[in-house]
Amino acid sequence: MEFRLKKRPRLEVKAEVVSLESKYPQNVMMYHYPPTDDVHIEEFEELALERLRLLRVLDRASTRNLRLLSDEWKEYVNAELTREGLRSYLRLCSAGGGTKHEADMQARRRDYISHFILRLAYCRSEDLIRWFVAREMELFRYKFAALSSTEVKQFLEANKFEVQPLTEAQKDEVKDGLYESTVGQSVAKIELLDFYKVPFTQVMDLVRSRRCYLKAGFAYVNTHDLVSIVGTRQQDEIERGLLAAKGLVEEVEGDERISRMLKALHNSYTGKDYTVCRDAAVPIESLDQLSKTSMPLCMRMCHEHLRAQHHIKHGGRMQYGLFLKGIGVTLEDSLRFWREEFTKKMDADKFARSYEYNIYHNYGKKGSMVNYTPYSCAKIIKEMATPGDCHGCPYRYMDPGSLKTKLSSYGLSASAIEEVMFFVSRGHYQIGCGKYFQITHNATAEPTINHPNSYFEESQITMGNRQKRTTGSAAPKARARPDIKGCGDRSMLMGDDDDELWRIAETQERAMQSQKAISEAFDDDLDLTQIDY
Amino acid sequence: MIYFQSVKMPELDQENQAPEQQTSAVPAYNPEVLQDMLPVYYRRLFPHQPFYRWLSYGLTEDGVFCNREISFTLQDDIYIRYLCFESQAELEKEICSRNPVKIDIGPVMHTRPKNHRTVPGGLTPVQRELVFDIDMTDYDDVRTCCSGAGVCLKCWKFMVLAARILDVALREDFGFEHIIWIFSGRRGIHCWVCDHQARHLDGRGRFAVAEYLNIISYINFSGSNSPRCPMGDRPHHSLKRALKIAEPMFEEIILEDQNLFGTPKGVSKLLNMVHDDPARGDLESYLQKNVEDGAHSRLVWESFIKYANSMRTSTANAWSRKLKNIVQEVQLGLLYPRLDINVTRGFNHLLKAPFCIHPATGKVCVPFSVSAVAKFDPTTVPTITQLLHEINAFDDKSKSYMEAPEDKSRIKDHKKTSMFKGVVVFEEFLRKLERSHKAATLQF
Repeated sequence: MEFRLKKRPRLEVKAEVVSLESKYPQNVMMYHYPPTDDVHIEEFEELALERLRLLRVLDRASTRNLRLLSDEWKEYVNAELTREGLRSYLRLCSAGGGTKHEADMQARRRDYISHFILRLAYCRSEDLIRWFVAREMELFRYKFAALSSTEVKQFLEANKFEVQPLTEAQKDEVKDGLYESTVGQSVAKIELLDFYKVPFTQVMDLVRSRRCYLKAGFAYVNTHDLVSIVGTRQQDEIERGLLAAKGLVEEVEGDERISRMLKALHNSYTGKDYTVCRDAAVPIESLDQLSKTSMPLCMRMCHEHLRAQHHIKHGGRMQYGLFLKGIGVTLEDSLRFWREEFTKKMDADKFARSYEYNIYHNYGKKGSMVNYTPYSCAKIIKEMATPGDCHGCPYRYMDPGSLKTKLSSYGLSASAIEEVMFFVSRGHYQIGCGKYFQITHNATAEPTINHPNSYFEESQITMGNRQKRTTGSAAPKARARPDIKGCGDRSMLMGDDDDELWRIAETQERAMQSQKAISEAFDDDLDLTQIDY
Repeated sequence: MIYFQSVKMPELDQENQAPEQQTSAVPAYNPEVLQDMLPVYYRRLFPHQPFYRWLSYGLTEDGVFCNREISFTLQDDIYIRYLCFESQAELEKEICSRNPVKIDIGPVMHTRPKNHRTVPGGLTPVQRELVFDIDMTDYDDVRTCCSGAGVCLKCWKFMVLAARILDVALREDFGFEHIIWIFSGRRGIHCWVCDHQARHLDGRGRFAVAEYLNIISYINFSGSNSPRCPMGDRPHHSLKRALKIAEPMFEEIILEDQNLFGTPKGVSKLLNMVHDDPARGDLESYLQKNVEDGAHSRLVWESFIKYANSMRTSTANAWSRKLKNIVQEVQLGLLYPRLDINVTRGFNHLLKAPFCIHPATGKVCVPFSVSAVAKFDPTTVPTITQLLHEINAFDDKSKSYMEAPEDKSRIKDHKKTSMFKGVVVFEEFLRKLERSHKAATLQF
C-alpha cells in the first residue's frame, strides 16, 4: 500500500464518477488489492475514525446479543449508524444500490480505503485481529445481504467464483439429505432452490453449526447460503491481509503522524491490554475479600470452587489464573497461592510436577514463552464447561433457578435478582453482569462489561482503591505502548532473546529519531516527556 | 488373551503364531520398576518400523517427518519438547537410549523444531493430524459403576458408542478414510485422522469440524452439569444417524448396566434434562406419584416415555413443541461422544503416541479396529510386565532368541506376544495409507 502524504487540495481526490465506478463497481467488494490512491493525511484519519465508529456500532449490537441480520439487529444498527452520522455506510448496506450517484461511489471508496487503513491498526495482536475480523465479517454480511440476485451474480462473476448449481438429476441423488439437513428452508422451498456442491472447507460456518447437508467431504449449499462461500473467501483475504500488514506496519509507522494515530486508535477503542498488569501488585491474602467485592461472578465462582475443592480443572485454571495475573498477582504469589490450595489435596511433589509448569507458562516463562492475555467476556462466554468444571460465564451456563439461588446467597434482594435475570434470560449476559455490578457497587449506572479485568478495575476505582488512569489525550497512550510492545505482542517473544533485544534497541533508536523530527516539526504542541521509550 | 475380534492377517506365518498359551502366573505391573522394563520394551517390542512408516507418510511432502515435533517425558517427569529426527534410525536410537516414559506427537513445523530458539518469528505449525480425545472422566455423571480413573466393561460401552458414532461421521460426512483409533492406556481413547486434507486443515477448519461433531452443551444445576442436545424441528442427518447407533444400546447401558435413574438423584438427572421449567415441574410430580423412590431405571424411563407421549398428543403445550424430541434428546445427551474439543481445535496440541506404555497402569496404548470395538476389552490390554513375561516364556520354549542374530529376531518379537493384534491393526491402517500415497504420486 502506498501512503503518499503530500498535501493536496481535497477537490482533486474527488475524481470523476466514471473512474470511481470502474474502480469500485459494486457495493460489496473483495478486499483483495490494496488501494493505490493518494490520501490526504486528514482524510486518512477521518476515514479511520469513521470506520471505527462503524465497527463499534456492530460491536455494541453483538454485545446486546442481537442475532446478526435479524430485524432487531438491523433496526438497532440502522438507528445507530444514523445517529453516528454514518449514513453513507448505511446506503451501502441497503438494497437498490444500482444507482449511480456520486455519493454512492464515494461511499464505496471510503469503505474500501478505510478497511485497509484499519488493517494497519488491528494487525498487532491476536485479540485485535479477532475483534476486527469478526466485525468486518458482520459488515460484509450485512452488505452482501442487501444485494439483489442479479448483483450477486455479477459479484460472483467479477470475482471468479466458479460455482455451478447441481442439475436436477444430481440434486435428486442427494435429495433426502438436502431435505433433512438444510436449515432455514422449508421442504417446499428446498425443492425449488438451486444447490451448489462445494468442499466443506469453503463453508466452515455452515459446517460448524450443522446448517447444511454434508457428504463425503462436500457441503451442499443453497442459494441463500452462498454468502458463506463468499464470506469464507473474504475472511481468508482479510486474515491474510492482516498478516501482511503486520510486516508493513513498521514501515508505515516510520511516519510519526500515522503511527501516533494508529496507536491511539486501537488503545482508545478496544479497551485495555491486560497481559501485563501495570498497577500495584495485589497480595494473595486479599483475594478472599476481593472475590466478594470486586470480582465478577465468573471469577468469584472459580475462587470459591478452588477454596472449597482445593482443585480446579484446566479450563478454570486458565481463566482464573490469567485473570489473577491481570489484576496484579505476581508470578511468585501465584505459585504460592495455587500451591497452598492444591497441596491440601495432593503432595507438594505432585503439584510441582503437574501444575507449576502451567503457571510459569501463563506468565510467559516456560514453553512457547508467550505472555498470555487474560480471557475476555467474549471468550469466556464461548467456553463450554463440562462436568466438574467451574469456568465459563455463569450467566450463560447456569440454570436460571440455580443462578437465582446463587445471587441470593450473595445477598442480592429478590427485586435485584429479577433485574439481573431480566437481561440474562434474554441472552444479554454482559448487560446482566453490568447490572450485578451496579447493584453490588451502588453505582448510578451499569458499566459496560466486556472483560473481567475491566470489571475488577472499574470496581476498584468505584471503591476508591485505585486511580482512574487519565485517558483521552494521545500522548499517555503512546506511553503505554512500550509495555505492550515488550509483552503483549505474541510474535515477538517467540524469537530468541537476542532478537528481542535487537528489536528493542531498534525501536528506541527509531523513537529517538522520530522524537527529534517531531520536536522540530511540532515543537509547540507536543509534550515530549510523555514519550518515554 | 484375545482382546479384540481377530482381524485378517495374511502375512502371518505359522511358526510365529501369537501364543495363546499363557504361562500360568502373570506378574502384576509395578510402576516402580517401569524404568527397568522400558529398555527391553523399546528394544524388542516397540514397532519402530511401522511407527516411522506412519509419520513419514511415504515422504510425499517435504519435511513431513524431520520437521515433526516429538516430545519425550523421561523418568521423574523431565519433559523435553521440540525434539525432531532426521530418519527412522535416529528416532529409534534416541528412543532406545533415552527410554522415555511417554512419547508425545506434535505438529509438523515449517522448519526443524529443535532450532526453535533461533528461528526468527518462532515455529509455525504447517500440518497436523486431526485428533480426538475422549476421556472416561467426562462420563462420570452418567456412570454409576466406576468413577475417575476406573474403567470396567460396563462403562467401556460408552467408549464403544463414541468410537462408532465418530468414526462413521468422519467417514461419511467428511470423506476421511485414514483413521486410526488408539486405546490411551487407562480410561480413554484417541482418534487420529491422517488424510491429507485433515492434516492440512487450518485452525478454523479444525474448529468447524470439532463443533460439527460436538453436539452436547451443559447447563449447570446447582453445582452439577446437565447435558443438553437440542435437535431442533428437523434433526440434522448426522444427529439422526448418531441416534440410530445409540438408541439400541440405550436400554442396556443406561437402564440396565448403569441403572442411572435408580436413585432420587438419578431421577433428578433425568428431570434436569427437560429444558422447560413448568414441564419439568409437571413431570416431577407425575413421577413422584407414579414411581416409587428407588424404583428401577426401566420403570422410571417407561413412565417418562408414557407421560411425554400422552402430553404430546393431548394438547398444544411445551411437550408438543419445544420438547417434541425430548426422548431422543435425552438418549443422545447421555450417550453421544463427549469430546475434549480443545484437543481437536488446537493445531499445536501434543498427543500421546500409540504404543506408549501408560505409566500408571503399565498398559500399552494399542490401536484397535472400530468394526471390532465391542470386543475390545480395556481390562485385558497387556501390560509391559506381561509382555516381557511373554517373550521370555516364548524364548525359553524355543531357545531361538539366544541363537538367532539380534536384528532378525527383533522384528518378530512383538508377534510372540499379545501386543501382536494391535500391531496388525496398525499395519492394516498403514497399508491403506500407503496405497493412497501411491495413488497420489501417480496423479502428479
